[in-house]
Amino acid sequence: MNGADHERHWSDDVAAYLLGALEPEEAAELEAHIEGCERCRSRLRWLAPAIRSLPESVERVEPPRELRERLMEEVRVDARAAEAAATASDRARPRPPGWARRLRLGWRPLAGLAALALVAVAVAGYEIGSEDSGGGPTMTVVAGHAPGVTAKMVGEGDGGTLRLAHVRPLPQGRVLQAWVRRDGEVEAVPALFVPDRTGHASTTIADMQGVDTVMVTTEPSGGSRAPTSAPLVTMSIPQ
Amino acid sequence: MGVRREKAERLADEELMPLVGEKDPEAFEVLYDRHGGVAYSLAYRIVGERSTAEEVTQEAFISIWRSGARFDPTRGSVRSWMLSVVRNRAIDALRSKAGKAPKLTLDDDSILEQRPAEELTEEQAIRHETASEVRGALGHLPGEQSKVIELAYFGGFSQSEIARMLGLPLGTVKGRMRLGLEKIRGELAEGLA
Repeated sequence: MNGADHERHWSDDVAAYLLGALEPEEAAELEAHIEGCERCRSRLRWLAPAIRSLPESVERVEPPRELRERLMEEVRVDARAAEAAATASDRARPRPPGWARRLRLGWRPLAGLAALALVAVAVAGYEIGSEDSGGGPTMTVVAGHAPGVTAKMVGEGDGGTLRLAHVRPLPQGRVLQAWVRRDGEVEAVPALFVPDRTGHASTTIADMQGVDTVMVTTEPSGGSRAPTSAPLVTMSIPQ
Repeated sequence: MGVRREKAERLADEELMPLVGEKDPEAFEVLYDRHGGVAYSLAYRIVGERSTAEEVTQEAFISIWRSGARFDPTRGSVRSWMLSVVRNRAIDALRSKAGKAPKLTLDDDSILEQRPAEELTEEQAIRHETASEVRGALGHLPGEQSKVIELAYFGGFSQSEIARMLGLPLGTVKGRMRLGLEKIRGELAEGLA
C-alpha cells in the first residue's frame, strides 16, 4: 500500500477510533493494523491529546455536595471493611476446624468459619451470630456496604437467603440483582427482586459452595448478564 | 483537617494513585476534590440529567476506587484516565436508558440535545440555548466538524450511525472527524508553543 492509499484507508479510522466511533469489528481491524504500523501508532499518539481535551471543553456544572458525601461514605465503609477483612483473615488461620462445628454452622464448616471471621462491616452496626429457622442450624452474617442498608445472609444447607433491609425505593424500571463470585468468576443469581414498601428485600442463593463474595446491584428490569452499577451491598465470604 | 489529608494534598495525582490502590480514603478524597467537578460536568453533558449524572459519577469513582491499582501511568494522566472512566459509564447509562441508542431525527440540534425519556427541564432549556456557544477547542471548529465529534464523543454514536442520522456518506463523516481532531490538536500545539 502506497502512502496515499494508506492515508485514505487508515488515517480517518484513527480519528474515529480515538473518538470511540468505530464498530467493534472495525476497531479490532484497526488495532491489528496499528500493531505493525509505526506511522499509525505515531498518528494515534499525536492525536490523543485532542481527545483528552474534549472533556475539558464541557460547561462546568457544580456537583451537589451530597454526591461527595455519599461517595466518601461508601469509600470509607469500603476501606474499613477491607482493613477489618485483612485483620480477621490473619486471626482466622490458626483456628481449628472443630471450632466451626461447635457453632453449628449450616454452611460447610470451614467456609462458615471463614465467613464468620472475615465478613467485615463498618457502617451502622456489625453483627454476626447464628439463628435457627426451624429446620436446622443456620448461620447469619450481617454486613453493610451502602449507607443505611444492611444485609443478612442466612445459610441453609449449601445455599442461603440474602435479606436486605433499609433499601430505598428503586427508580422505575430498575430491580435488584444478586451476584456471587466463585473461583474468580462473577455469576448472576437468577431471581431478580425488589424492595417492599418497608425497604426489605430478599432472594435465595441456591448454591453457596465456593462463593467468596456476594453482592447486590441495581439493574434494568429483566436483569443483566454482568453488573452494570456499583454494588449496593458487598459481603466477603472467604473460603 | 487531618495530617493525612494535608499530606495527601501535597502529592501529585500519580503519587496518590498507589495510595488509592492501598485503600487510602484521604488520597481518594483529594483526587475527587481535584477532578470530581469536571467529571460530574462531563457526565451531565452526556446524560443531560442531574440525578443520572450523579449516579454515573458515583459509580465511576467507586469503580476507580476499587480498581485504582489498574491505573497505567504510561498511558496518560490520572485525570484523563478518570474522565475516560466517567465518559464510558455515562455512555453506558445513556444507551441503557434509551434501550440501545437514542432514536434519531434529522434535526441536528435535537440530535445533539436529545436525551431519552427526559422532559426538558429549565436547566436543560438553558443548556440548550447555550449549546451553540463557543466552548474550548470544539468551539473553534466549523460546525460540521464539531457536530460529528460531539455526536461521537458525547453521544456515543458510531461513525455509521452518525452518517445515517445526518444523511451523509460515511467517508464524509470520517473525514470531518479527522479534520476536526487535527485542528484541535493543532491548536493545542500552538498553545504549547
